[in-house]
Amino acid sequence: MKIRSITLVLAAAAAFLQSAHAKLNVVVTLPDYAAIAREIGGDKVEVTSLAKPTEDPHFVDARPSFVVKLRTADVLIEGGAELEVGWLPPLLQNASNEKIENGKPGRVVASQGIRLLDVPATLSRAAGDVHASGNPHFMVDPIIAKAVAQHIAQAFAVLDPANASDYQANYAKFETTINAKLQDWGRALLPYKGQPLAAYHDSWVYFAHRFGFTIETFLEPKPGIPPSPSHLAEVIGKMKTDHTKAILVEPFQNRKIAEKVASSTGAHVVDAAQFPGALPNADSYTAHMDALVSRIAAALK
Amino acid sequence: MTFFKINSACALVACASIAGAQDAPAPNQQTDLQLLRKQMIEMQASILQLQAQHAQEIDGLQAQVAAQKKALDDFQKLAGTPVPPLPTDAAQSSSPAAPTAGGSLFPTTDTTVVAASPPASPPANMPSAIPTADTSVVAEPTLGGPPITLTGGGKTYLNISLDVLINAASSTARDLENIEVGDHDPLHRGFNARNTELVFDGAVDPYFEGFANIVFKLDPQNETSVEVEEAFAQTTSLPWNLQVKAGQFFSPFGRINSMHPHTWDFIDAPLVHGRLLGPDGLRGVGAQASWIVPVPWYSQLMLALQNGEGSTGFSFRNRGDGDMFAGRETIDRQLRGVQDFVFVPRLENAFDFGSTKTLLTGISAAFGPNDTGPTAHTQIYAVDAFYKWKPANAGGGWPYVKWQSEAMYRHFEAGRGLDNSFAARETFKDWGAYSQLVWGFKTGWSAGVRGDYLHMGESQITDDPERQSRWRLSADLTWFPSEFSKLRLQYNHDILEATRFLSERDVDSIFLQFEFALGAHGAHKF
Repeated sequence: MKIRSITLVLAAAAAFLQSAHAKLNVVVTLPDYAAIAREIGGDKVEVTSLAKPTEDPHFVDARPSFVVKLRTADVLIEGGAELEVGWLPPLLQNASNEKIENGKPGRVVASQGIRLLDVPATLSRAAGDVHASGNPHFMVDPIIAKAVAQHIAQAFAVLDPANASDYQANYAKFETTINAKLQDWGRALLPYKGQPLAAYHDSWVYFAHRFGFTIETFLEPKPGIPPSPSHLAEVIGKMKTDHTKAILVEPFQNRKIAEKVASSTGAHVVDAAQFPGALPNADSYTAHMDALVSRIAAALK
Repeated sequence: MTFFKINSACALVACASIAGAQDAPAPNQQTDLQLLRKQMIEMQASILQLQAQHAQEIDGLQAQVAAQKKALDDFQKLAGTPVPPLPTDAAQSSSPAAPTAGGSLFPTTDTTVVAASPPASPPANMPSAIPTADTSVVAEPTLGGPPITLTGGGKTYLNISLDVLINAASSTARDLENIEVGDHDPLHRGFNARNTELVFDGAVDPYFEGFANIVFKLDPQNETSVEVEEAFAQTTSLPWNLQVKAGQFFSPFGRINSMHPHTWDFIDAPLVHGRLLGPDGLRGVGAQASWIVPVPWYSQLMLALQNGEGSTGFSFRNRGDGDMFAGRETIDRQLRGVQDFVFVPRLENAFDFGSTKTLLTGISAAFGPNDTGPTAHTQIYAVDAFYKWKPANAGGGWPYVKWQSEAMYRHFEAGRGLDNSFAARETFKDWGAYSQLVWGFKTGWSAGVRGDYLHMGESQITDDPERQSRWRLSADLTWFPSEFSKLRLQYNHDILEATRFLSERDVDSIFLQFEFALGAHGAHKF
């Protein structure tokens, strides 16, 4: 019995020492955080995303294998603004990993420090499945992505002080890239500033805010409520009066409905996505934003 | 109130931006100025509107505005003073130079999203039309200090939700209570409200989280009975992959046993569940330890120790209705020692097949004494499997295919009852299984089929109606108007086989179920 417990202690010590030299094991809920974590962490981190880029982030299955991933994570990066509320809590409960508990340096809540838009003044599900803390689809605003990247760099530096300067340098590089890219994206979209766009779900408010669009027409009558014929008729009318030229549809949304609306309004369906990796050849954050901007610009031309 | 604060903060920021812009006007900024002015006007309008509605709130607000203005003044003073360069500065100042020689088109900061300007934005950056920073969306420079928490994390100590199941039942059986096997099932023709759940959960302290599920059931006389279905706390951060919970909880036995009825794919309980574990399922007061086995796939070992007394320990120390069980008058067997607890071990393993398919399997057992004799004992064994397919571009959770099956075997030693009053000892070898397939074929819709079989060991002596072997075939169609409500139609065909005492019987039933949920957003286990 004694020998066994000594062996156990030794094994644990060995595991601990090994982990001290190994890469930071980073688990993220959504693929956009994965893209940023890879930019900041480079080869010093191992990044795993729970949700797939093409998947509806509101409805990810709490697969048991996620428990295993969370159990061994050094860092968990989550959005935190109720986007993952339907699937993350039971996983964390089961994983019971002290390192990624709320408040620990290993728990990065990306929405911390972000002023979320569309915070509801009153809470009622008669308005659909609203997010009480505000709209959580904020990563398509590059300025917010920079702030999240900075937050992640800071967390990595705290958890892995040996490589802190690398993380800060990577952040500086990311910031430079984004600042330069912002000029390109801004220039590409400037001719269409103020134009209205339609979207399937209200997930583009930050993108609209950044690039000066109005995205207030949605195929969903209310968040999370499937489109009804009467609502679509209304949408078609509104799109015609506003001369809306594009409908943004994400990979998991019903493209057929968007096509129908497009055909009766003359608008283009834009295959857009919130997450890097969802559009072809767009695995990094900047490549993803490049694709998004060029697709939208092409539709508005 | 929060909404309002942010609004006024935005208005201030807009003022500041306009003031800043006027200091150094640039021709290509006209559109932005107009936009900002427009925003200002809109915000003022909303403030006026709110003023009219809540005159007394304004005083407090004005104080806030003053405070914020002061903060802003301080901040502006600060911005005027030289700030030591940070690694990010190089990036900031070099970036506008690269794309355009005469200042960048697009600002790279934005205080409307990032609460305060990032460290040391040099004034040279100001005349850019496309910002690279935005304090209206991002709270403050995060490097060098923890970010301000504007959102994130729960806002309440306790999450509360209410879930109500209403069933309407039609059946060829007058005694539906003998056909349906679960206590939350529709037990009577007409309307049934057998499951109104009040659910509470939250973090107790840094070491425990708590969960309680209180169920209200209405009987045919419309009397309410209350059931503490679950009330337990569990550890959050034990080392060695261990977790312990204590209180009243569902035994970790099989799959459906530990699921609350509103998460089931059919309206009623499977036959094996109701007849071998009991109408209320297997649960009780006790303690449980779980260990995540450190292997590359998901593997968890659980062991629960529970009292196993009363109707929620149905096959164990359960005195039965009118102190009768399995035809015997039961004895009052008090706990003598650890051996009289119910022991419930379970091992579950899960495997992913690619990124869209998952299989979860489990083997469980339950051991404990029963009340039909001083030495009578019960053992139940089960295997279960759950498979789910959901494509990589599923929207709103659809489409999907779920297959769920469980098989159970019960070895029940029936003693001679109180004071050896019953004629003989018997050992019942009862077993059964169900298998169900559910297809979420279209967003908000699912269709399912279920086959159910129960074999009860022959008894030469008791005419217990629960000892009838039987079949059931079910089909259902469900519509989910949203995540928080559902409407389900189900058809059951029951075939009860003849026993020595009971004749064969066929029953057809149709149920309609409506569910609604209020309160905290529920999370779904796999």
